[in-house]
Amino acid sequence: MFEKVLIANRGEIALRIIRACKELGVHSVAVYSEADQDSLHVQLADEAICIGKAPSNESYLKIDRIISAAEIADVDAIHPGYGFLSEKAHFAEVCESCHIKFIGPSADSIRRMGDKAIARDTARKAGVPITPGSDGPVETEQEAIRVAKKIGYPVMIKAVAGGGGKGMRPAHNDVSLVQGFHAARMEAEKAFGNPSVYMEKLIINPHHIEFQIMADTKGKIVHVGERDCSIQRRNQKLLEESPSPLLTADLRKKMGRAAIKLAESVNYVNAGTLEFLMDDAGNYYFMEMNTRIQVEHPVTEEVYGVDLVKEQIRIAAGEPLGKDFDDLKPLRHAIEFRVNAEDPFNNFQPSPGKIDLYYAPGGHGIRVDSHVYGGYSIPPYYDSMIGKIIAIGRDRKTALDRMTRALDETIIRGIRTTIPLGQLILKDVEFRRGKYSTSFVQNLMDQRAQLMPQYDLK
Amino acid sequence: MDLKEIKTVIDLMTKNGLTEFELEKGQFKIRICKDGQGTPQYTMQAPVPTIAHAPTYLQPSPAAHVADSAPKISLPSINSPMVGTFYGSPSPDSSPYAVVGTQVNEESVICIIEAMKVMNEIKAEMSGIITEVLGESGKPVEFGQPLFRIKPL
Repeated sequence: MFEKVLIANRGEIALRIIRACKELGVHSVAVYSEADQDSLHVQLADEAICIGKAPSNESYLKIDRIISAAEIADVDAIHPGYGFLSEKAHFAEVCESCHIKFIGPSADSIRRMGDKAIARDTARKAGVPITPGSDGPVETEQEAIRVAKKIGYPVMIKAVAGGGGKGMRPAHNDVSLVQGFHAARMEAEKAFGNPSVYMEKLIINPHHIEFQIMADTKGKIVHVGERDCSIQRRNQKLLEESPSPLLTADLRKKMGRAAIKLAESVNYVNAGTLEFLMDDAGNYYFMEMNTRIQVEHPVTEEVYGVDLVKEQIRIAAGEPLGKDFDDLKPLRHAIEFRVNAEDPFNNFQPSPGKIDLYYAPGGHGIRVDSHVYGGYSIPPYYDSMIGKIIAIGRDRKTALDRMTRALDETIIRGIRTTIPLGQLILKDVEFRRGKYSTSFVQNLMDQRAQLMPQYDLK
Repeated sequence: MDLKEIKTVIDLMTKNGLTEFELEKGQFKIRICKDGQGTPQYTMQAPVPTIAHAPTYLQPSPAAHVADSAPKISLPSINSPMVGTFYGSPSPDSSPYAVVGTQVNEESVICIIEAMKVMNEIKAEMSGIITEVLGESGKPVEFGQPLFRIKPL
């Protein structure tokens, strides 16, 4: 086991990693920017080293300063957390060349799975279903019709050189396909100077289902179930749960096996997550892989009774996957709500500032992963997530009731938070039924905006 | 902040048409507001020993950590621009770059900070006379750590 680990991150994940280090008897070294002097991760680590000014690119993203800190503190390993440098293959390489163990997969794995095209190709070669599409640009009407027949309607015609929603047309049948094909080409020509288009299957009301995998250096790879992350707004996750209300035991087995196969095909080591898009009929398609620990990892930990962060450190130290990872079964239901310092009813405007009063929820079945405290000032330089509330129960209903209770009793005064939105989501009938997709949050907010034109629900 | 710095802020506010200025650094806080007539009024909060709602175990951690808790109206310091190991002289046998009383200008090399096996020559970047040597040869320094105290010329 390592003697000393440096945490190249901040906020709640830095705290999480420091806690895992303490439980493993590993000396923790925190790095921090000048804006994070009063941060909890700095207070709780065994050692803390200031590495720069507030902006991330002058501190948490500065590889040279982090490596220097690692050297003067004489650490054995670095845990990159999530975000920042966690998926920068170059950083993993620098660690390696400095003989510091990077707690995560190899630089090569990060590079391969970080490139969407290579990742898709790897998935295809491993026999994992990917979003069906044309094999490159579609040149003629006839080819378009052929491709549509092959991948099945509805389809999306997309400009090859495209972006910003331009040069895109959905099509639900041959007639709209031909119309859309020509319209998309014309728009693409005007907007990008290139009329080339390709086609992809359009998944209506997709669900975002991701699978957690863990792999040790001895070649053992397991999946630790799924997380349903469809509750999103503008592609930002707000709430995650496991098990997914959508998955049958059979689907879980199939998708889990696909996830393991993909990880095996790249000799993956340590923690990783495979993201899938799923339609209402249960068809799933590989989207991308995240080669790091994720924000929503507590959901998996609570459902399966494992400690993913400790295991990451153990695997990096050369230990085989622990006994906790034999014979994995979902033991209970867990829901996580991300608390952001944002005003959800004012376009999610960030709300940095001082927390005057902080009372975290507690009691049976509630876990709180947060780095804030009463009197703490949230710096404006970083992302707005100030904590995660996880509700655990023997079944989904119990977890839902607990989350409702927890959100109602939480007090965070002095800043705006997304808790009122969480309360709205938890009250929603369709959500409680487990019927939701990635369009859910936007629909909820649109409905509310229509019903409450003058009022300000705070 | 000393009076000279406060006056600089007020001048800048006037020049740029600003009516409110607030600065919080550690436990020091100052707020300057200009009323309708353009007359600045300011309130200055003296440092308080603990944060009101924070649990009692929250103390700055002891090792390798610079906590600036009270406003110092003292000489400026030259702070470390990087993380690494401080060396006061070019080699173990040579004399130090700067001692108390050494006069320096912007280009004067005052120490070396070694980072990732690279010896970086650190320049004073200001003119003055060294009044205190805070860095210790062979000891690690973090970003922003004061290395020397200097009397500006």
